[in-house]
Amino acid sequence: MPYFTLQLTAQGPMMVAFVGVSEARRAALLSVGQAVPQPIQIRALVDTGATGTCVDPTVLQTLGLTPTGSVQVNTPSTGPNPHSADLYDVSIAIPGALQTHSPLIMENIPVLCADLLAAQGFHALVGRDILSLCLLCYDGLRGTFTLAY
Amino acid sequence: MALEKELETYTEKLPELKAHEGKFVLIHGDDVVEVFTSYEDAIKQGYARFKLEPFLVKRISSIEQVQFISRFVDPCSLGPAT
Repeated sequence: MPYFTLQLTAQGPMMVAFVGVSEARRAALLSVGQAVPQPIQIRALVDTGATGTCVDPTVLQTLGLTPTGSVQVNTPSTGPNPHSADLYDVSIAIPGALQTHSPLIMENIPVLCADLLAAQGFHALVGRDILSLCLLCYDGLRGTFTLAY
Repeated sequence: MALEKELETYTEKLPELKAHEGKFVLIHGDDVVEVFTSYEDAIKQGYARFKLEPFLVKRISSIEQVQFISRFVDPCSLGPAT
């Protein structure tokens, strides 16, 4: 089982990820002769408090995405009543620690567009949808976290 | 709001779609195209059939599921593609 261990940062369990158009959208772009945007390298925070993965709008805008889903969302900013929010299909790749380790790749995954992430120093929250595919160990004593997949 | 027509269709057709609770429906305009077992199959079929036209993939749920995010973020939409 591939895994990597990283130091916890002041913000928590942070890692590098690559966000691109989904494989399904990539095929559609190619079929109509449009260019496929390159995946974007981002900093992503593991967040067990997020049901689903969230990505900053600047990243989704750069990829030229349009929504393909909708969901009700409850956050501290929405107050007691959930708000409707758009979902965007993307691909996400989380590289392994070594080049010999295969990356964790999700080719078609819906993510929520969430503002105010970049202001907090990162561009995505890795939510429990992705964590459901992984084993996460948070070692507070050593100041590290491990993600196996 | 994006996908307004498709969301209206989903709401209208939900009584019939409830038989497929937990599966994923593909909707284009006012057409319910097909129901799929996985999100991945639905999104692939959506792009294969409609290319870059708007379409909706939604998990069928008789009680609308709510996503929770404990961190302070603001769910948002992108403006029109440029």
